[in-house]
Amino acid sequence: MAATKDIVARCEALFEDLNFESARAWKAAEDGRKVIGYLPVYVPREIIHAGGMLPLGVLGGGDRLEVIHGDAYYQSYICRIPRSTVELGVTKRLDFVDGMLFPSTCDVIRNLSGMWKLMFPEVYTRYVDVPQNFDDELGGAFFRQEMEELKEGLEGVAGRKITDDAIRESIAVYNENRRLVRELYAFRAKQPWKTPSAEVYLVVRAGMVLPIEEHNQLIRDYLAAADAEDRPMRDNCRIVLTGTFCEQPPLNLIKSLELAGCYVVDDDLLLITRWLLDDVPTEGDPLGNLARAFLHNSESTSAKYVDDEAEKGRYLVRAVKETGAEGVIFAAPSFCDPALLDRPMLQNELKANNIPYIAFKYAENSGQMQPIREQAGTFADSIKLWSAA
Amino acid sequence: MTITAGIDVGTGAVKAVLYEIVDGTAKRLAESLYRIRQRDPMQLAAEAYDTCLEKAGLTRDDVAYVATTGEGETIPFATGHFYSMTTHARGAIEMEPEARAVLDVGALHGRAIVIDERGKVLNYKMTSQCASGSGQFLENIARYLGIAQDEIGTLSQQADDPEKVSGICAVLAETDVINMVSRGITAPNILKGIHLSMAGRLVKLLKAIGAGNGSVVMVTGGLALDGGLVAALSEDAKEQNVEVIFRSDPDSPYAGAMGAAIWGAFRHEKLAKLGQLAMAS
Repeated sequence: MAATKDIVARCEALFEDLNFESARAWKAAEDGRKVIGYLPVYVPREIIHAGGMLPLGVLGGGDRLEVIHGDAYYQSYICRIPRSTVELGVTKRLDFVDGMLFPSTCDVIRNLSGMWKLMFPEVYTRYVDVPQNFDDELGGAFFRQEMEELKEGLEGVAGRKITDDAIRESIAVYNENRRLVRELYAFRAKQPWKTPSAEVYLVVRAGMVLPIEEHNQLIRDYLAAADAEDRPMRDNCRIVLTGTFCEQPPLNLIKSLELAGCYVVDDDLLLITRWLLDDVPTEGDPLGNLARAFLHNSESTSAKYVDDEAEKGRYLVRAVKETGAEGVIFAAPSFCDPALLDRPMLQNELKANNIPYIAFKYAENSGQMQPIREQAGTFADSIKLWSAA
Repeated sequence: MTITAGIDVGTGAVKAVLYEIVDGTAKRLAESLYRIRQRDPMQLAAEAYDTCLEKAGLTRDDVAYVATTGEGETIPFATGHFYSMTTHARGAIEMEPEARAVLDVGALHGRAIVIDERGKVLNYKMTSQCASGSGQFLENIARYLGIAQDEIGTLSQQADDPEKVSGICAVLAETDVINMVSRGITAPNILKGIHLSMAGRLVKLLKAIGAGNGSVVMVTGGLALDGGLVAALSEDAKEQNVEVIFRSDPDSPYAGAMGAAIWGAFRHEKLAKLGQLAMAS
């Protein structure tokens, strides 16, 4: 059995590779293979997979990419992920990508789809809209049609039809991935000292670049290795990390939280892997099933439009209760509208439930962790020493 | 009876203490302090801990909770870690129950903390990244002047006409000192000038967080034993109309480690009640 350190080392190498060599190698292994990039937060990857193509998560440039060209495209009050994504594009790091999907995360990501069309006209580029109405007849029909059009566009890239049977098979494979990620998260919530959050992040992040079948095996291997290894339990408090669903925090930030005395027992990092909460049915109309899962079986995080104001923040309270967390850390990228506009409402819900929290902002290239360690460290101390429990 | 250890990895030194807690009363069994020169602080932490155990005739297995503080987050045998402000506050209360503020002056920076009678941090402010006002700066100046560190306090208190140096920037302050030496200013007057400059910055921190009204300020950290600095603090507080009483203790450098060990005992008991006892490896 592989040790966690070997599995994590492989994941870290994938994470650090800004040239996406593993995806390039996958594409080069067989003639005619195609790669479709997507930005956070949610796209139905099953349709890409059903077309025999590789879905590739493009999550910005992190803290290792110097943004030179990207800054020229955006005002100073815009977050960093679109800048570093433009940088990845203009420096030809994404020159092997045949299509790019820009989900309906915020105006910035939506507008990036238009810019991408102008900058890379040879690349299939699509803005993937999602419903803001949760009625099957309205929002459901709209999203099904949106996915139908996406499927047709992807067929053009793949050069073949994407059949309903193929989508059903892909849904089954992604259901397995969702189950495994849920299992990994449940394992961490139970024994966080055996699965450090930075490791969990790297293992899940590997799924952004690896074929899904390979990622499923990787999670199984990691879970088995983590379970078998004996790691000392630290007297840390347990927190839920929220606001991190789009621009990803630097790996050092996640490590710093744990070093400061906080076990992360739930988070909204790489939310695409847990956007749908349960298995999507593999019988019947596959696009209809995906649409219904989005409407009725996806979490009401800040990354999703929530039409019922009373529902705001309930998921966060549920996450705290289900994982036995003792507090919440709001970490949002600077200028992230979805995370920062929701924050006061979420905090009100936490206040009403007597759940302590702290809040700070970051950028994907934040380098100075001392203030974050200080805030997280004092938060951990206040929970450990002064909470009523 | 519970045995706990506190390890404070500072910028200039690693401090370790060992406590025995019986019915809520803490009794110190041993302590050790290792200066960080060019050695690995993590290795020093292990050595300081083992030295304490040896002095007390105990082994690692006897210790219920190893609490780290300062830069000790990555110590592999720790049970838990506490932020340094939390531990200095608790250590200060242990040494001086009347203390309602703490002035932690270490090698890297100074920090003023307002606390309550339980050692809970109520407010704080620390010096910025500039090194002036830190122990490291004072140590550098002493080296330029050819003075041993333990002579600094005594010499400073012999000053008759101190010359203040820049309180803004360590580089400018060092230039000031070079000029003073060439002008023939005596070492006591130079040192007292530096102490007054540092005191000016530190008292401002206390003022900013609302310390005053005759409250007792416990000075902790490595510079708490510098009598020259403590005297300068009192003088400067009077000048700035900040009504506080400064106290220092021979154990002041161990405040962080002491606080860590005592909070470790508290956590050990709490976790035992909750049935979630973390085991020190």
